[in-house]
Amino acid sequence: MPSVLLTESIALELGAQEPWPQDVKLFQPYEVEQILLPDNANCLAVQAFLKMCGLDFEVEPRSNAEYMSPSGRVPFIKCGAFVVAELDPIISFVNHKGISLSDKLDSVQKADMRAYMSLINTVLANAELYITWCDKTTLQEVTKPRFGSVLPWPLNHILAWQKRSQVVKKLGVLGWGNKTLDEVYEEIENCCSALSERLENRPYFFGDRPTELDAQVFGHLFTILTTPLPNNRFASIVRGYPNLIELCKLVEKEYFERTAEA
Amino acid sequence: MGTVHCKDVPPDQTIGDVRSHFAATGLQGERDHYESDKGQSTEQKQINLDGVKARVDKIYVDGLSRTKDDIIIATVRDLFQAKDFQEVIVGAHKVRGKLEGLGCFRNIGIYIDTSSGPHATPEGVEVTFYVRELKRIVGGVSTLVGNNEGSLVVQMRLPNIFGRGEKLQTEYSYGSQKTSTFNLSFTKPLQGNLNPVFTGTVFQAGSEWPSSGYKQIERGLLLDFGFNSTPLVRHNLQWEGAWRDISCMSRSAAFQVREQTGPSLKSSVRHILTFDCRDAPILPTCGSLIKLTQEFAGLGGNIGFFKNDLCLQSNWTLLADMVVQATLQAGFLTRINNSQNVGICDQFFLGGPLSLRGFQARGVGPHKDGNALGANAYWSGGLHLFTPLPFSPGKGGLGDFFRTHLFVSAGNLDNVYLGKEMPTSFQTLMRTVRMAYGIGVALRLGQMGRIELNYCIPVLYRREDQPNHGVQFGIGVHFP
Repeated sequence: MPSVLLTESIALELGAQEPWPQDVKLFQPYEVEQILLPDNANCLAVQAFLKMCGLDFEVEPRSNAEYMSPSGRVPFIKCGAFVVAELDPIISFVNHKGISLSDKLDSVQKADMRAYMSLINTVLANAELYITWCDKTTLQEVTKPRFGSVLPWPLNHILAWQKRSQVVKKLGVLGWGNKTLDEVYEEIENCCSALSERLENRPYFFGDRPTELDAQVFGHLFTILTTPLPNNRFASIVRGYPNLIELCKLVEKEYFERTAEA
Repeated sequence: MGTVHCKDVPPDQTIGDVRSHFAATGLQGERDHYESDKGQSTEQKQINLDGVKARVDKIYVDGLSRTKDDIIIATVRDLFQAKDFQEVIVGAHKVRGKLEGLGCFRNIGIYIDTSSGPHATPEGVEVTFYVRELKRIVGGVSTLVGNNEGSLVVQMRLPNIFGRGEKLQTEYSYGSQKTSTFNLSFTKPLQGNLNPVFTGTVFQAGSEWPSSGYKQIERGLLLDFGFNSTPLVRHNLQWEGAWRDISCMSRSAAFQVREQTGPSLKSSVRHILTFDCRDAPILPTCGSLIKLTQEFAGLGGNIGFFKNDLCLQSNWTLLADMVVQATLQAGFLTRINNSQNVGICDQFFLGGPLSLRGFQARGVGPHKDGNALGANAYWSGGLHLFTPLPFSPGKGGLGDFFRTHLFVSAGNLDNVYLGKEMPTSFQTLMRTVRMAYGIGVALRLGQMGRIELNYCIPVLYRREDQPNHGVQFGIGVHFP
């Protein structure tokens, strides 16, 4: 039904022009016992982005957040009558309200930012999925218990198996299916060094003000650094890039600790 | 059964040459044709069969191949108790009913003859049952339109699979909306006076509820044990384990529906009590139905509730072919604890041609953004007058399938809370009644279901409801 899609997107666009309401909620899985590495990275990236924009929101944990989301992925925000899922749609939804972190950039810088954001999406996000669902020890010791923590027996096993086969299929389509763990670590290494070279010694990627790219990098790297996994090599690769660590610390201090105090 | 028409019975012959042949239909079993080998007179006499002594020497069952002997012996054994010829005939008739009930045979004929051979007694008779067993595999492919989609249905049945009336049935349907429904059930009748039957079913079913904005896929296992406590009262004890997957049908679904999405597991025990003395399940002319369902969910899984549902129906024939029907349904659902949820698919809904006429499907009760949310208590009742079509066109033929239908129906659906607020919320349930009346035509589809075309006039409704003024069409099996 294409007409429905069209009217929905028009409605989304019209509604998006209204100002930011007070009761915006961000839905995500339970952070302590449920959330997995890739989801946590995405949730943290969206949180960082909204905080950088100075928009108020409330985090609402739900065990079925993934199923509630219109796209099937977390996080999603409920803004008035609208539900918008994932970082990119949320960025464009916020842009429609006239709020943007990257409007000061010129077109070359904007293209640059887009390129680095898609690098993160294609490398870091897939690497997180690979470690979480394809690495046997992580799957057994971390992923399955956490994924199944909110589900009754025997659904916890059935759905974990179902989710794993979906992820494996997706990674296979993207060409990550036959990679070994070492090759995945190599990809991460390359991605981090590219980001590190772009960042140099600036506080943020594009000068003194954070952009969408900073939010995304923070979301992924901070999650990788703070998530305990059986194999710690993922975090130790990231630790090899001090300027990226500095970026994470800066964003945490500026946007997360400040709100915690308030 | 006391009188028999016969052509000629010489006084010295009692049952020597009496032959009785029962045809397969029940009607002819009532009338027995006696024929004497010697006389050809057409004079009619009545003899009293009670006085004719008889003893069943042998019973043959002809045509058995895979049906096991033990269940046949258990079925026909009572016939040996017969002491006179009338008891033989009545007993043979009963046995035929039981054999039909086994679900193993296509048609059954009865033949009664005097017994012969070395062990024959002077008053002995032999009863022979001619049976034809059902084929090993029965199957079919059909198409089905309903539930907003068309689907292809493939079904297969293996009757009498192990020779004791066991049945394996499977059905698979694939719809144009890519929903697939699967059902595999195994039925095993057990021996005993209470007519006990065990059924195990594995199922997968997809359903869409546009009026509530969600769709559901349900997979599960159902174990059922049914038995009669008295001939008319049937009990079903069930255990059901069901994995339900609920998802939103569109982006614009109400957030209250969106919150309910995701997988859930229900493990419940159920007791269904049915008392049915109606003369037909579809458009009956007399008799009542009482059905009480109690379900307790929460033995494992993350769904927990206690659900009661009551269904009453009574029918009276006023004048020739004018039937008055009164119905009442009521249900109540309570949570059992805070750690287990109640899903939207467990709630009660009201409205629609099969539920409360004069309202759209699920059109009564709490709504949000146009989606029906359901509630935990409801009641509905109706008064119907069924008459033949005006001027009775097609009487004795097609016209008998149609009935004119006048009705008044009323009901309500709302959330009722236990504790302090209970009296007020019960009062609301009684006060904010929805009501509609109308006239229409009902068409009986065999004994399987019925079609209704009604003109409805809703008279009492509230702002959040979705009344349906005018023509409403309904097709289904269970009509209130």
